[in-house]
Order: sequence, then structure tokens, then C-alpha cells
Amino acid sequence: MGSRGDSEGMTKGTASNRKGIIGWIDPRGFNAERWAYTFQRVTGVAVLLYVLGHLGDTSFFVGGPIGTGPSESSWAFISGIVENSFGHMILVLVVLVVTFHGINGIRLILAEFGLIFKKPAAIEYPYRPKGLGAAEKYAFAAAIALAVVAAIMAWWILFEGPL
Amino acid sequence: MRESRLMLIQYVTAAAAVVLVAFHLLLQGVLVPYGTAISFGAVLSAYKSLFSVVFLETLLVAVLVHGFNGVRIILHELRQTVSWSRWVDAGAVVAIVLSVGYGTRTILLAVLVGASA
Repeated sequence: MGSRGDSEGMTKGTASNRKGIIGWIDPRGFNAERWAYTFQRVTGVAVLLYVLGHLGDTSFFVGGPIGTGPSESSWAFISGIVENSFGHMILVLVVLVVTFHGINGIRLILAEFGLIFKKPAAIEYPYRPKGLGAAEKYAFAAAIALAVVAAIMAWWILFEGPL
Repeated sequence: MRESRLMLIQYVTAAAAVVLVAFHLLLQGVLVPYGTAISFGAVLSAYKSLFSVVFLETLLVAVLVHGFNGVRIILHELRQTVSWSRWVDAGAVVAIVLSVGYGTRTILLAVLVGASA
């Protein structure tokens, strides 16, 4: 039986989709681009969930779901819930995943329009994708590096910096 | 709407969101001190600026259209039956309308009622 990344593994595990959502989301045994694919979707869903929560907490500026206008007491109430160490940890994670999702998303847009791929070539052993160029790999690495830098900056602002 | 056009919308909203979210994050602690940026007075003054209001509404629409269209794309990858596709497409539209509506309500209340504050 072959490993999950080769043609036999693809036939048994992925192409037949017998593993369902686990097979779709699990990138183990595949190349960096497959990991990027999974990260992009997981971070995308995470960011959307945060945005929906953010819609809810910012609505307390006008008194919440049944509010009628700007309310200082309502804003102080929600700030008391989200502005603490746990809330700030969540914000650092949000900055991490938002930055990764954004930079990796730019890579995907460039790839979609064929701007960072090499010329297509016939597939031959050991079946490495020949269309992937250095720019494409650097962009994925840059997405991870910039996300970490942004998260460190967010950490400094929220936990160390002069608020 | 054709799937190619929906993907184009996904890329356009993505590009817009990258710029708008980056600016939004920079306003929270880099360009403006974090404590000031989230104070009631600073938020209220943001809703009195036309540029800021247009910025927030554009950010709201770009992020939510991109987000729910993204979920729609993920769900289409999981399963491709006709009924599933129709429910997913309809659900994405409803989710976008409801969430953009709720966010716009916050902005409108802050602008219209906050203007007299």
C-alpha cells in the first residue's frame, strides 16, 4: 500500500472521497500547497466566526440588538467583557490568522491569474508539480512569516505597549 | 449567477478586504493608541466622519460577502448534488443579507442618532 501522497494513496483515500470531510481537510502526507489549502480554509472560517462575533460586540455601541443609539453604558458593559487578557489573546490569534489568510490569499489570486507559475510541463517520475516556481513557495513562506510578525506586534500593543 | 462571476467577486472582495482590514487593524494601536481607538468618544467621532462611515460600510460588505461566499465555495467542494447546491447558494445569500443588514443597522444608528449626541 502506498503512502497517502502517491497515486495509490490518492485512489484509495482521496479520489474516492471515502474519508469525507477528514480526507478533505487533513493535509498530512501532501506538499506545502496542500497545507496552504487547508490553512486558507480553516483560517477563513475562523475569521468569519470572529467577524460575526465582532458584529455582535460592536453593536453594543448603539445599545446591542435592541438598542436605539449610541450608549456609553452599553459600550462600557461589552468592553468589560472583551477587554481583558483572554479577550486580548483572542485578538492576537485573530491578527495571526487574518494576516496569514490575507497574504496567502494574495498568493492565490496571483496563482489564479497565472502570474507566479512556471510553464506547464509533462508529468514524470517522481511526480513533483513542475509548474510550482520559487515565487509561489516564497509567497507561502512570507504569509507565515508576516503573520507571526503581525501577531507579535499585536501582542506587544495589547500586553506590553502603552495603551 | 455564473460560477466564474462569483469567483471574480470572491477575488475582488478579497483584494478590497486585504487593504481595508489592514487599515482597520493599523487604526487599532499603530496609527492610534489602542486605548484611545476603542474609547466611546473616539468611536462616536468616527461615526461623525463621512470618510470613516463609508470606510466601515465598505469593509462590512467586502468582508461578509467574501466570507459567506467563501463558505459557499467550501460547501460546494464537499458535495455537489443539485438540491445541496441550491440550499447552499440560498443560505449564503440569506446570511449575507442578514449580517450586512445587522452591521449596517449599527452604523446607521450610530450616525443618525449619534449626530445629535
